[in-house]
Amino acid sequence: MSAIAPKFKLSEFIKSLLDNAFWTVLLASLIGLPAIQVVLFYIEMPVINGELLTPFLALTWLADPTRSLPILKAFMATDMFRVMVFPGFGFAALIAAGTIFIERKMLAKLQLRVGPFYCGKIEGILQLMGDGLKLISKEIIIPAKADKPIFWAAPVIFVATAAAFVALIPVAPGWVVADVDLGLLAVFAVIGFFPIVTILSAWSANSKFPFIGGIRALFQMVSFEIPLILSLLGVVILTGTLNLSEIAASQTNFPWIVFLPVGAIVFFITMLAELERIPFDLPEAESEIVAGWLTEFSGMMYGLVQLGTYLKLYAFAGLFVVLFLGGWNGPMVVPPFPEELLTGVQVGPLTVGPFPGLPLFDQEMLNGTLWFVLKTVGVIFFILLPRGVFPRIRIDMLLSLGWTKLIGLAFVNIFIALGLLYAGVLGPGGLQ
Amino acid sequence: MADAVFLALTVITIGSAIAALELRSLIYGSIALMGTLGGIAGFFFMLDAPFVALFQLAVYVGSIAVLILFTVMLVKRELIFKKIEDKRRKFAGIGLMMVVMVGLGAVFLDSGIKTISTDEPAVDFRDIGTDFVTYYWPALILMGLILAGSVTGALVLAKREDVENDQRTN
Repeated sequence: MSAIAPKFKLSEFIKSLLDNAFWTVLLASLIGLPAIQVVLFYIEMPVINGELLTPFLALTWLADPTRSLPILKAFMATDMFRVMVFPGFGFAALIAAGTIFIERKMLAKLQLRVGPFYCGKIEGILQLMGDGLKLISKEIIIPAKADKPIFWAAPVIFVATAAAFVALIPVAPGWVVADVDLGLLAVFAVIGFFPIVTILSAWSANSKFPFIGGIRALFQMVSFEIPLILSLLGVVILTGTLNLSEIAASQTNFPWIVFLPVGAIVFFITMLAELERIPFDLPEAESEIVAGWLTEFSGMMYGLVQLGTYLKLYAFAGLFVVLFLGGWNGPMVVPPFPEELLTGVQVGPLTVGPFPGLPLFDQEMLNGTLWFVLKTVGVIFFILLPRGVFPRIRIDMLLSLGWTKLIGLAFVNIFIALGLLYAGVLGPGGLQ
Repeated sequence: MADAVFLALTVITIGSAIAALELRSLIYGSIALMGTLGGIAGFFFMLDAPFVALFQLAVYVGSIAVLILFTVMLVKRELIFKKIEDKRRKFAGIGLMMVVMVGLGAVFLDSGIKTISTDEPAVDFRDIGTDFVTYYWPALILMGLILAGSVTGALVLAKREDVENDQRTN
């Protein structure tokens, strides 16, 4: 007899299972199905391939996977798909998760360690999943004298702000969640929210180390916002638009980093500071102030802040790619979609297809996404690299760097852009 | 739809303005102030002026509110303010504000704002830029000089002279 359940009987167990099954079937048929019918009555169903999508049609399509492609394609055209899956949250979260693992492994290799090793057969590939499970199952501890509403809300607002930033980044031609006419200004507005969330969460924890970290984060972010904004004005002067998609599309011949290397360097350094990465990781300096403004976060709250941080990292890398490296532009390497699949393939005595709904993505979009992801991963690599190379710098050095050198360089960049424009090298009548 | 959004924005703006004045916790007061400034940004969005709205967000919510938060956090409230609080003062304050707001509203309504047609196309921000460099260029140059002066002043202030040599950055 087991010690955990001393009165265990197999018959009782089976009876309880059958009991549950009985009630599930009864409730589903009496309440669930009518509820679905009532809800469906009020939802406007889409028209796909000239047929109204009735529940009956949807069920027949789901039974035949090739015929469900039109449903998938109709779903991909919705805003929901953009926000949740492709250029939006899902895609960015996937890249963010990959970044976390690559960072740990790459740093380990840089420092002649092995890094995550035991979780999963090959090189600790499942470490991330293990970390996620651990964070989800851990208890969330809130300091006794913390300001509870702000402390609870801060990680959520942080992730929301990072997601808003991600939504502004165009990935492929036409594939962006929010195609704002003033996209770059919207980016500045969104970046302005990060210090608020940081300082509020730091204050609300009611603890020394988070507060010191929060104050440092505030200093750092606010003072580096100015060179960040100034360094991007050169690109705006040359393109004459604030729309990020148009800026990316304007770089078909050459990326702006060719003409504005100073601006790109200033933007990269300010990016490191805004992301609180080494050598500018004073807000989280773990050898001085425990973990900075993240000290009191535990469990999934810490997980959310971590997710937000890496979403922000992806968004900044994407912004760098869009503004300076030409966004999705690149040689066409994706092969065209095979025509046979559209008409039907002869396989021996059988004709397979044609498959309605194919192709799911057009060639241009796949190619754009490929180049965008390649460039973004490259930029992320260069963001991660200093962590294995540089020590942390002092806060007065940081502020002096931001306020004197970077602002000056940003102005130099603006004058370079103006010179190129007025000399006729770029702009109307020039190269582009 | 627009009316509902307008009403919601109004409630948010005025409600958080009252909260910013009346809340005893200075931090929550500053958060409420952020709500007010954000609500005003929402009004600019409704008025088809996204340029102004985004600057409102970037400058007022992103910088001014942070400045206020920062100041509030580093200050011991008890040292500055003496609490003189009773119900009558509170309601008198709210009442006074309401009277001022109603008065201002009456002035606005009387000023012929009703006759403005609202279906004009939105002004492109490029037109604003063109106006700035053509008709309003003296104002632009004046602003540029003031901003350059303030940036230079900030740089001079940031470069402290009283730091000893071994504390210097480089």
